[in-house]
Amino acid sequence: MAPQRKKKKMPKVCHECHKVVEGEVCMSCGSSNLTEDWAGYLIIIDPKHSAIAERMNIDMPGRYALKVR
Amino acid sequence: MHMTEETETRIFAVKTTAKQERAVADGIYHAVTMDPSFKVTAVISPDELKGYVLVETLEPVARIEELIESVPSARTVVPGETSLAEMGHYLVPKPVVSGIDEGTIVELIAGPFKGEKAVVKRVDSSKEEITVELYESMVPIPITVRGDNVRVIDRGES
Repeated sequence: MAPQRKKKKMPKVCHECHKVVEGEVCMSCGSSNLTEDWAGYLIIIDPKHSAIAERMNIDMPGRYALKVR
Repeated sequence: MHMTEETETRIFAVKTTAKQERAVADGIYHAVTMDPSFKVTAVISPDELKGYVLVETLEPVARIEELIESVPSARTVVPGETSLAEMGHYLVPKPVVSGIDEGTIVELIAGPFKGEKAVVKRVDSSKEEITVELYESMVPIPITVRGDNVRVIDRGES
């Protein structure tokens, strides 16, 4: 029998600030309201010079989800 | 002479291996943190855009080509740049149930009823769920499914 393929684990995303979270609590807003059901991936590296960060009202660098369910 | 700092960002599309969009975005992020001389300000991988990631940068296209050489699964930079106005709609994803109304005929594309056709009876846009009744079922049984688990076949009269 072929070995069962392991499903890729989705990182969790904070419901409040849409930030991709490592662990069980969001580091930026302290919320533990996390979900694995999200879509669209956005990485802000330099929020000061990024027009996308300005449009999304993000002032902290980091990894974000565009859509959280 | 014009000596002000260049603040205008450009957006380039990078072609990726299928289903590796997020890995490529992470790879670019990693490469930029390793070598901060690359002035990349943001990387976006919208769910709707399969096979590409968008890179917002202050650099010309040649520097992005140089950058993605070290990123696994990143293939080429698409010639030409895009603008925020052109890709801005990816930043505000529309609800998956938009375009689905009561009476719409849909096909279920996931779950135990995959492949079955059904009529939409109710749409819950806040939960992004729809309630359908299977077309070929003898007794009408309402089934609630996620909005992204269906494909619209016929929108009916508009």
